[in-house]
Amino acid sequence: MSTQTVLFELGTEELPAGEYEGMANALASGMASGLEQHGLATGEMTVFATTRRLAVLIENVQECADDTEQEVLGPPVAAAKADDGSWTPAAVGFAKKQGMSADELQIISTEKGDRLGVRKVAAGALCTDVLPAVVTQAVENIPVSKRMRWGRERHEFLRPVQWLVLLCGAEVIEVSLFGLTSDRVSRGHRFHGQSSVTVAHADAYEATLKEQFVIASVDERKALIRGQVEGLASKDERVVIDDNLLGEVTGLVEWPVALRGSFDESFLTVPRQALISSMREHQKYFHIEHPDGELVPSFITISNIESKRPEAVVYGNEKVIRPRLADAAFFFDTDKETTLASKALRLESVLFQRDLGTLAEKQTRISEVAQTLSQTLGADKATVKAAGCLIKADLVSDMVGEFPELQGIAGRHYALHDGAPEAVANAIEQHYWPKFSGDQLPQSPESAALALADRLDTLIGIFGIGQVPTGSKDPFALRRASLAVIRILLTFAPTANLEMILTTAKQSFPSGVLDEGVVDTVKAYLLDRLPAHYEEQGVSVDILRSVTAVGTETIGDIDCRSLAVASFAGSDAANALAAANKRVANILTKVDETLPAINEQLLTETAELALRAALTESQASLDLAVADNDYPQALSNLAQLREPVDAFFDNVLVNADDASVRLNRLALLQELRGQFLKVADLAVLAR
Amino acid sequence: MSSLTFQELILELQSFWGENGCVILQPLDLEVGAGTFHPATFLKALGPENWNSAYVQPSRRPQDGRYGENPNRLQHYYQFQVVMKPSPADFQERYLDSLRRLGLDPLEHDVRFVEDNWESPTLGAWGLGWEVWLNGMEVSQFTYFQQAGGLECLPVTGEITYGIERLAMYLQDVDSVYDLVWSETPTGTIKYGDVFHQNEVEMSTFNFQQADVDHLFGYFEFCEKEAERLVSLELPLPAYEFVMKASHTFNLLDARHAISVTERQRYILRVRTLARLAAQGYVASRAKLGFPLADKDLAEAALKALAEESAA
Repeated sequence: MSTQTVLFELGTEELPAGEYEGMANALASGMASGLEQHGLATGEMTVFATTRRLAVLIENVQECADDTEQEVLGPPVAAAKADDGSWTPAAVGFAKKQGMSADELQIISTEKGDRLGVRKVAAGALCTDVLPAVVTQAVENIPVSKRMRWGRERHEFLRPVQWLVLLCGAEVIEVSLFGLTSDRVSRGHRFHGQSSVTVAHADAYEATLKEQFVIASVDERKALIRGQVEGLASKDERVVIDDNLLGEVTGLVEWPVALRGSFDESFLTVPRQALISSMREHQKYFHIEHPDGELVPSFITISNIESKRPEAVVYGNEKVIRPRLADAAFFFDTDKETTLASKALRLESVLFQRDLGTLAEKQTRISEVAQTLSQTLGADKATVKAAGCLIKADLVSDMVGEFPELQGIAGRHYALHDGAPEAVANAIEQHYWPKFSGDQLPQSPESAALALADRLDTLIGIFGIGQVPTGSKDPFALRRASLAVIRILLTFAPTANLEMILTTAKQSFPSGVLDEGVVDTVKAYLLDRLPAHYEEQGVSVDILRSVTAVGTETIGDIDCRSLAVASFAGSDAANALAAANKRVANILTKVDETLPAINEQLLTETAELALRAALTESQASLDLAVADNDYPQALSNLAQLREPVDAFFDNVLVNADDASVRLNRLALLQELRGQFLKVADLAVLAR
Repeated sequence: MSSLTFQELILELQSFWGENGCVILQPLDLEVGAGTFHPATFLKALGPENWNSAYVQPSRRPQDGRYGENPNRLQHYYQFQVVMKPSPADFQERYLDSLRRLGLDPLEHDVRFVEDNWESPTLGAWGLGWEVWLNGMEVSQFTYFQQAGGLECLPVTGEITYGIERLAMYLQDVDSVYDLVWSETPTGTIKYGDVFHQNEVEMSTFNFQQADVDHLFGYFEFCEKEAERLVSLELPLPAYEFVMKASHTFNLLDARHAISVTERQRYILRVRTLARLAAQGYVASRAKLGFPLADKDLAEAALKALAEESAA
């Protein structure tokens, strides 16, 4: 089987750094599946992508697909001949269409009876024949976030397309796309390379481009940048290489050259996050740290050229970053001219939400609620109060206006500058924690109380005015807030009553603003978020439902029971008891009468006596275990009931003829069910 | 090489783009926020007609004034604007050649095209393109117009906007715009500050403190009515002048903090509605003339499309 290497390159004007890689991958998988559909086997595939090109190289592509046999079916045999034995028009017509006489047709058996037909051998597709269609289809299927037109035609792509290379081995395969026709002419690096570069053979693609100062492989460029960046730090320094930033700069260059510049040491008095943001977000620089985490007044930029005068590039970049850092320093200094407390006054003119008032009002509510909850969380009320009237003040600072990601951090600095205690400053910063899923929790009970109160205020407020988040729209990040509430409660107040906490938050709003049922709504919403919280711990939605079905007073209790049921679930005993619970639940739901207390006199069958005895025995130890929140123990007690329960159902007829016996047996089952419901409704777990 | 003076920079760009087939125009004599507002960009981007032009446009952004105290921020500055329609295939190369003409060697300086998409809510216009980085500093905007005045652009206008103060500050290696050498004259060096510092101080005072809010609100209403009236009289060019005046009036009111956050959106919408009316009126007026500057096939296609539209 002879094979060839296939290469396709789509040359463009600069593609956005965030998208080019995914587009190249889509192009590659489109081509691979296209070739496969034509029966062409393929070997290893390499994807290349730079800001100016998407390319796919597929090795060992079959030059010609294997032949295949096809059956073409005509009319049924029964309808093929007339009474006189001559071919019917249907048969003649079919034969004609196949380019043969009716006598040459074969009889082919099918599920629906014998048919006239022909067996034809279809020659396998030639790679060179199908490539244009395969490439066209693959290009059409590249996902393009925002399409644009250029010039005077209607072609559309993410950025203008400039050239096409399509080679099968050394042969140019012609395909026309975007008003261009493919050739073997690529382009080199915009400045170092030639504007037209001949690719002699598909196999030579990568090497040819490298001679032209283009490193076509994303991974190779990435590794190169990483190496260069690390090489620019001295032994006692560490370059912080953020993966997102690395990916982004890799998408901005074809010939990466890392350069190191510096800025004035005096800027180091500015909060490091502001400096890092200036460098990373605006300029895409890497920053450097000392081993102790202190910033080094330097940055590393990735240029796209081997400059004749690298110092000119460095000088230029230093000139750009200087005013940016000077801005940050200026904001920091002017912010410090007024106290945080005076900034807090300005919150009165900033709207939180039209129906929920200003940020000043929100801050007051948060502070009140956090103080009320202080004891519950074991927080020092005075600290909560001191921090509570300042936590949102930095939102009106110039610094946070320019660097929104500095909220809390700026406030911490300003509080310390005003002479606030460390605990207050920490609470100001940490009340925003956790900032995202998996982020660290507040470190102190005081910070946690404010963090909790802040989330509760948003949840109760926004739900209270009916702005329920929908599938895609969650502008106030209520999902994230709920998960934060769950985590904070688990760590700082596992035994706090959920309803009490939510009611406290609700009471901080003026009366009449919120929907009356908001506490229930938010509680239900919080409980609905539990599966997301437990996703990584392998606690299923059903387990959570089985637990919340029997009680939702405190997050800690839900947590203990969920984890116990999760480790119990799946065992034979659990499966059997789940089935038994379901059966019992079904029986009990059909009962209309009020059930009496169990009458020992009416218990006659061995199995029911045995179940009664087992229940009496388990009752005491179950109560003890539940009182200790020792749910694994409680479940292992309940597991002991499996045999008597099974025996009961095997040997005892619940629906006895004697009504009093029947009701007595039902009462026994109710007792059984009652014991289980102290932990979880296992019926939910029954398959 | 001694670096170009501010006026030499403008002259170089003008002659470069003139050599590249652009009609060199003079600035529009109205207050506008950007070179894009000039009819030579906004209106010419509409319809099927070809158009290549370059010009300097004084740009006024009342909000950005800093009383002459900030070295980088001005309420009045210059843009050098290039439009080519249809955008030529080698538009980027031509731009790079213009940098070379200014003495910037891209093998010495790191020049990059970094994704940046442009949108003007007041003009109902948007496009895709880049900001051009010179050693990390944004020195130009590069945009392929997709829509203007709510109308699809075909052929596509390619637009380059040079921030010429920035470019000059880089070339002359000064940290304050006011230190730029505007020109060397027999009587001495004239700096940007000599030409414009007093203007920045006084105009900042006017924009932020003295602009008559009541009058401006009334004038905005007047401009709006005039634009609508003139469109209905099939006078799209004067109508568009009133769109620009309405837009600048809105910017002044904004600088005076006379418009609340919620109202702001409504004002933008009102200007956009006017821009759309003027744009439609302009295309209709050019259609009447048969789109004289268009390629024949595109003119016919556009006329046919308009006829079908009005039939429907």
